[in-house]
Order: sequence, then structure tokens, then C-alpha cells
Amino acid sequence: MNKLLVSDVIDLKSGSYVLECQSKNLDINIDGDVTIYLLNEKMDNISINVKDNNILHLYMFNNELNNDLKVIINQNNNSKVYYNESYLNSHDRKLIIDNNMLGSNNESIISIRNISNKGDSSIIVNVLVDKKTINNIALESIKGINNGGYVHVEPNIICLSNEVSANHLTTIGSLDPDSINYLVSKGISLTNAQELLLNGFIYSNMDEYIKKNNGGE
Amino acid sequence: MLQICSLDVSVDNKKLFENINLTINDNEIHVFMGPNGVGKSSIANVIIGNPNYKVKGKLIYNNEDITNLSIEERSKKGIYLISQTPIAIEGVTNAEMLRLAVSEKNKKPVNIFDFNKELESICDSLELDKSFIHKDINVGASGGERKKIELMHMWMLKPSLVILDEIDSGLDVDATKLVAKSIKEYQAKYKASIIIITHNSALINTFDNYFVHLFENSSLVKSGDKKLAKEILSKGFKELSNSFVISENDENE
Repeated sequence: MNKLLVSDVIDLKSGSYVLECQSKNLDINIDGDVTIYLLNEKMDNISINVKDNNILHLYMFNNELNNDLKVIINQNNNSKVYYNESYLNSHDRKLIIDNNMLGSNNESIISIRNISNKGDSSIIVNVLVDKKTINNIALESIKGINNGGYVHVEPNIICLSNEVSANHLTTIGSLDPDSINYLVSKGISLTNAQELLLNGFIYSNMDEYIKKNNGGE
Repeated sequence: MLQICSLDVSVDNKKLFENINLTINDNEIHVFMGPNGVGKSSIANVIIGNPNYKVKGKLIYNNEDITNLSIEERSKKGIYLISQTPIAIEGVTNAEMLRLAVSEKNKKPVNIFDFNKELESICDSLELDKSFIHKDINVGASGGERKKIELMHMWMLKPSLVILDEIDSGLDVDATKLVAKSIKEYQAKYKASIIIITHNSALINTFDNYFVHLFENSSLVKSGDKKLAKEILSKGFKELSNSFVISENDENE
């Protein structure tokens, strides 16, 4: 695991990186099989360019930093992007992701989990599959829990090509009462049961590094 | 152990049961039988304190009135239900849930080494893959595996009253034998009281002695011993109900 202090622009080759950002705007060029961790980094704009034949795994966790964020991800040919972001907000927050598939044979899976403790959380995900492209796969999985605040989701997939596989899943709701009753029936207090479920939800798309370094386990 | 006194049960203003009276003593096995849809599972849910059910009457557990206690309070007193279709919970592992439940029960943090050792030994005895310990609760598990996972929870939490709601449904012959063996061993080890809701003989035949209660038409219509279970399983509910009506008419005459 490489820990990097980064400013405005960085080129990353194959490996795993924990980025500590000095600037609120970051351009990242992906060249290889790259895993990036952004843990409680207060960013405004992130722009990611994934070169041909390369893979990006991104894990971003944000605990009530409440800053608006715009992410632009450009894919060209034969690339894969696995974008995983989880966050809790206690004020209004807007997240916009633009994922542009400009070439062919790309894959993109965008997974977002949000618990809105207070305020409005707006999640807008735009996946664009450009014209004259083939064999692109785009999946969006966005789940939110209204835990005192409100989650609003716009999952947009714009396909300008006929040869694309695209799908999106969006759920917004409260904690499942059956799950709470199940845990409470095992002798767990209501408060701990709710906390267990919220933790389980918010870390469900994160990997072990984030869980271990952010109190998830 | 458990006394059910003049219990009326309703859900969404629909009456399910009226005037149920039943006593379950320590270390006893009671089998609830009745046609599909009669509401046997509802009684199980009422005993654990599911708030969706409205009850009148009293539930006394170990000489304490638990009628108004929550699910949490009842489970802490040792009442435990394995439901017919255990739910799956994404993002919460069996180990996480059990660590928390055991530490709350014992009011002290668990010793991780002893805890893992005990869990692994339970998995071995249930022929359950140990990988389930660190998997999300019931996620990706088959029907049979879910029942075994719930038994794993039971062995770790050590309840004194266990309600098994059709635990044998969907199990193959070998799995049924294994589950029955596990329940029998548990009952013997912890002197627990067991309520079994079932339509089959395979599970109850494991036990030497047990009480049987037949529920029909919103009532507990007959109680007896294992002979009643044999009668129910050989004649069926319909024929047996008719015989009750005939015998009641005879009495009236």
C-alpha cells in the first residue's frame, strides 16, 4: 500500500494508493491496474482519465464532511472502472458523477451508499455511452437511507449506441423493521441493532482497508 | 417456565386466537400442530413479543408477567425463535452479530479466542461450512444452511425457551436428522424448553416424550401426548376434527 501526498495532478501506475490530497481539485491519470483509497478527503472536483486497457478500483469514504463533490471519469477503450463511494451527511450535500464511455469494450460499475442523517443529499449519476461505440457495460447501484435527512437520486444512463448493456438499481428507504426485529430478537438492544445495520449498509461496498482504517470492524 | 393465560390474539383487527391456555414447564418439549394458515406461527411471534400482534390475556415467564415486554427484553430473558424463513441481512456478519449479542447478554466483552473456538466447534457439529461465521447473516445461504445458521446462533446465545417454527420444512432426510440431533443435544445440555411447530413426524420422533397441542378454528382444541401426534399424522386434521364434533354431539345427547 502506497501512501501519497498529492497536489493537483497525479499519474498512477499499477498498485494500491492511499491518497492524501493537498488541493480540493485533483486530476488523476490511470495507467495500469490501480486501486485508489480516499478516506475522508474534502474534495470539490475529481477528474479521472482511465487509459486504454487499464483498470481502476476506487474506494471513497466520507464521514459527514458534507462538501459538494463533482467527479468526472473518462474511459476510452477496453478499460474497467469500479467506483465505490460511501458517505454520511449531516447537512445538504450534492454529489455529481459524470462517467463518459468514449470508446468501446469498457465496463463501469458505480456503487454508492449514503446515509442522510440531516439535510438533503442529492446524488446525480450520469453515465454517457458515446455513439459509434460497441460492447460497453454500465451498471449503477445507488442506495440511500433516510435517517433523519432525505436522499434524492437521479440515476441517468444515456446510451447513444445500440450495442451496450446498461442497468441501474436505486433504492431509498429507512432501516428495514424486519431486520431490526431480527437482531433485537437475538438479544441486541435497539440502539445497537440500528447501529449494526447502518454500519453494515455504509460499509457494504467498501473493502477491508477502509473498514479497518475507519472503524468499520 | 411459560404460562399462557386466557390469551386472545389479533392482527390488523382480525381475530386469530381466543382464550388460549397452556403451561410449558422447564425441560419440556411441546409440539404445536394444526392445518396450514391456522396461525401457529402467530403464537410463536406473540411469545417472542412481535409488536405487530395485538394480545389480551397474560404471558408469564419464570413467574414474571412478560405480556408487555418488548422483543429485546424477552430475548434477554432467554426466549428465542427460529422462524420458518429466516431473513438475510446484508452487511452484518454472523460473527459481528453474535459478538454483540453475547457481550450484551454477559455484560462484558467477549474473549475473541474462546468465541471463535466455540463457533468453529458448533459449525463442525452442524456440518456447516466455517466460512459462514464471517459471512453476512443468511446471505447466499440455501434454505437448509439458513436453518443451520440459526441453530448456530441458538448454541451461542443459549436461550432457555426455544421456538422452532417448521425448522424441518425444506430439509432433506440427512439434514433433518442432523438438525433433530442438534436440538436434542441442546435440550439435554441446557435443560431448555422447546416448542416445535411442525407438520412432520421426522423431527418429533427424535424425542422420547413430548406434549402435543392441536390448534384449529382460532382455538386450542386438544392437548395430549405423543399418541395425539400419531393420531393427527395418521388420520389428518379433517378426520380428527370431525371426530371431535361427533364426540361433542354424543356428549350433548
